[in-house]
Amino acid sequence: MDADATRKQLAAALVRVAAGDHAALRIVYQDTSAKLFGVCLRILKDRSEAEDVLQDVYVTVWRKAGAFDPGRASPITWLVAIARNRAIDRLRASAVSRRMEPIEAADAVSDPAPAATERVELAQQQHRLARCLEELEAQHAGAIRAAFLDGATYEELATRMSVPLGTMKSWIRRGLLKLRACLER
Amino acid sequence: MSDDGTINPADGGNLLAAEYVLGVLGAEERREVERRLAQDPALATEVAFWEERLGGLADAIAPVAPPPHTWSRIEAAVGGAAAARPTSVWHSLAFWRGFGIASATLAAASIAALAYIGLLPGPRQSLMATLAGSAGQPNFVAAVTASGNSLVVVPAALLTTDPRAIELWLIPSGPNQRPHSLGLVQPGQPIRLTIPPDLVGRLGPDAMLAVSLEPPGGSPTGLPTGPVIASGKLTSL
Repeated sequence: MDADATRKQLAAALVRVAAGDHAALRIVYQDTSAKLFGVCLRILKDRSEAEDVLQDVYVTVWRKAGAFDPGRASPITWLVAIARNRAIDRLRASAVSRRMEPIEAADAVSDPAPAATERVELAQQQHRLARCLEELEAQHAGAIRAAFLDGATYEELATRMSVPLGTMKSWIRRGLLKLRACLER
Repeated sequence: MSDDGTINPADGGNLLAAEYVLGVLGAEERREVERRLAQDPALATEVAFWEERLGGLADAIAPVAPPPHTWSRIEAAVGGAAAARPTSVWHSLAFWRGFGIASATLAAASIAALAYIGLLPGPRQSLMATLAGSAGQPNFVAAVTASGNSLVVVPAALLTTDPRAIELWLIPSGPNQRPHSLGLVQPGQPIRLTIPPDLVGRLGPDAMLAVSLEPPGGSPTGLPTGPVIASGKLTSL
């Protein structure tokens, strides 16, 4: 099945979830849970916390699927956003200080091997994002990538990259402004 | 932005959405953004922009299969949620009273309208659905006519000022069913829709009706393309 059909099928399943269809939720789960578990695990670095959050994510999908707008958002992007938000909230709430990955480790993972379908689905958007990130200074782009993947705060990123907090904020904000200008071109 | 790295306040609002999506904000700042999202459509648009554009970064994350028991826990959790949803029209009628006189009157008027135009299904084969929004408020009442080949839809409450078209969908019962369009609905006026012949037999109890917002003229793809604003199951009375 091609990427567009996969995307349409996932979008249609979400519409049916919004209508209260349990079987459709199962389809959404089967198609996306490994991806979302990976996202949660990357942020939380703890399997049982990530399992808890994953469960919470699909219960949220069940309740909020009506807010999904297939005309505006890609279904996988919508689901990833929910998973990231839940995982980041859990991370902030967690009193346990987590293992800090060196920033190089985050960069090393940035050579992705996504499922073929996802790769094609997001290809256009991806291309542009990759191109725009390349236009940024390497440190700014690295900080933005690390922030997204790990859900780290400015303070944590500053510690990890051994720069003052103000410098980190400035890197990311400058990077975001430039990224925005590039993405809108 | 000036050279010393400070940010122009005019850009600050835009960046707040980006910072929220990126995940660099602390817990309290995140709650503040979420509170504002509900009332600030511009901020919500910004957040959607960044979610869509930055979302591709997640491709760098390898999928990891969750343990098998995760699904059974989710199933158990949403099973409870499903049971709490109004499933019968009578349940829903009782529910409407909680919405005060205005909506109760509207609801009663809707039922009266159905009865008056003589289309309320007879006692033998009576299928009805209350289509509720995400907050549980009833937005439409739908009833299959006695002949079984058309559907009367009555808006129960003024639900939207959105200029988009309102399209009604049938999702037959059973696994892996896709939505089928039943046509467009006008806000504020009852309408009788003819059910396409191939769908007549599939309009049974537990089939689902859903309403979505679409471009003028209806969905161009044959599947819902806009948000679902109300849905409900057909129920035998």
